[in-house]
Amino acid sequence: MAHAAATDVWVAPTWEQVVRDHSARVYRLAYRLSGNAHDAEDLTQETFVRVFRSLASFSPGTFEGWLHRITTNLFLDMVRRRQRIRFDALPEDTERLPGSAPSPEQVYTDTHLDPQVQAALDALSPEFRVAVVLCDIEGLTYEEIAATLGIKLGTVRSRIHRGRVQLREALAHLAPGRRPVLEEGPR
Amino acid sequence: MNIPVSHLAQEAIAALVDGELSGAAAGRAARHLTGCLQCRLAVEAQREAKEALHTTHDVAVPGDLLSRLQAIPFTADVSASGGFGGSGTLLASPDRVLGGGFSAPLAPQQTPDRPGQARWLRRGMAAGLAGIGVGVVALAVSLPTGGQAGPVARPDTGSTVTSGERTAVVPPVVRTLTVGTPLTGGTP
Repeated sequence: MAHAAATDVWVAPTWEQVVRDHSARVYRLAYRLSGNAHDAEDLTQETFVRVFRSLASFSPGTFEGWLHRITTNLFLDMVRRRQRIRFDALPEDTERLPGSAPSPEQVYTDTHLDPQVQAALDALSPEFRVAVVLCDIEGLTYEEIAATLGIKLGTVRSRIHRGRVQLREALAHLAPGRRPVLEEGPR
Repeated sequence: MNIPVSHLAQEAIAALVDGELSGAAAGRAARHLTGCLQCRLAVEAQREAKEALHTTHDVAVPGDLLSRLQAIPFTADVSASGGFGGSGTLLASPDRVLGGGFSAPLAPQQTPDRPGQARWLRRGMAAGLAGIGVGVVALAVSLPTGGQAGPVARPDTGSTVTSGERTAVVPPVVRTLTVGTPLTGGTP
């Protein structure tokens, strides 16, 4: 260990470095998925808690892929849990249920993403949203998305396609000023 | 928007926009598109949705979240690891927390991007070893305890938590995680 410092042997990053290098990406993903800063913070924190606990058993693969997987799974778990809670009508969590969306100003301050785009994203079903966000915001390949979500390549393709169709419809609905290409013809 | 069978499959349209079609399939699609306005419009619609999302400015992580993330070595897992308590966590400084556990796979992301940091880190490591040798030893003893404390330490990709082990984590996390029944499903 002592002479590792003197040679070119790779040295493990510090926790501070891990947080610095990856927190922005995780937070951005969590925000795009959840649509509000509060949930994004909770998802980010929980993701890093998982990372910290599992560092010792981290197995080969990319660190980014691992983070994507943890974050998206936590998000989908959160969505499912809330669907159950809504079903069971637990009273004390009502303020956190969908519907308490942040104001457009807040969204822009938080993310610099067009609030209408975020609202359109929020309108997608969680499964479509995850696929579209991983593809178009995180820039993952279909294969990486399939691995992240544990679904087939064909499912990835159709979720992305249908997600984008819905996204575009939601955008046209939210912002009638945006003229869809269908009425202008190809550019 | 239903596309008849004589047109491109929907999945092919998305894949074409994302450059995910093989060469031959992309060629076939391109030939079809030259003669088919309907499919061209469908491709354009996909592209438009993709571009709407492409305005990705970087999101600033809220400062207090950043400090909570930095503090995870001090706040997470303390109770779960069976009481090495105050002194143990104090020694587990964030600089040394990854001591034994973290292994090679991070290298490809870290080294090419930040050679400067890697050098800095090695210097820091040397200084750390010289300066707080005792701390490093103490950590080597205490870390495996934290790392293998029962169910908490599984290579974990997002499912099955129990609310009991949350108590040591700072309040905002407790708020989210104690909400429901223990999580199920969502395995990667």
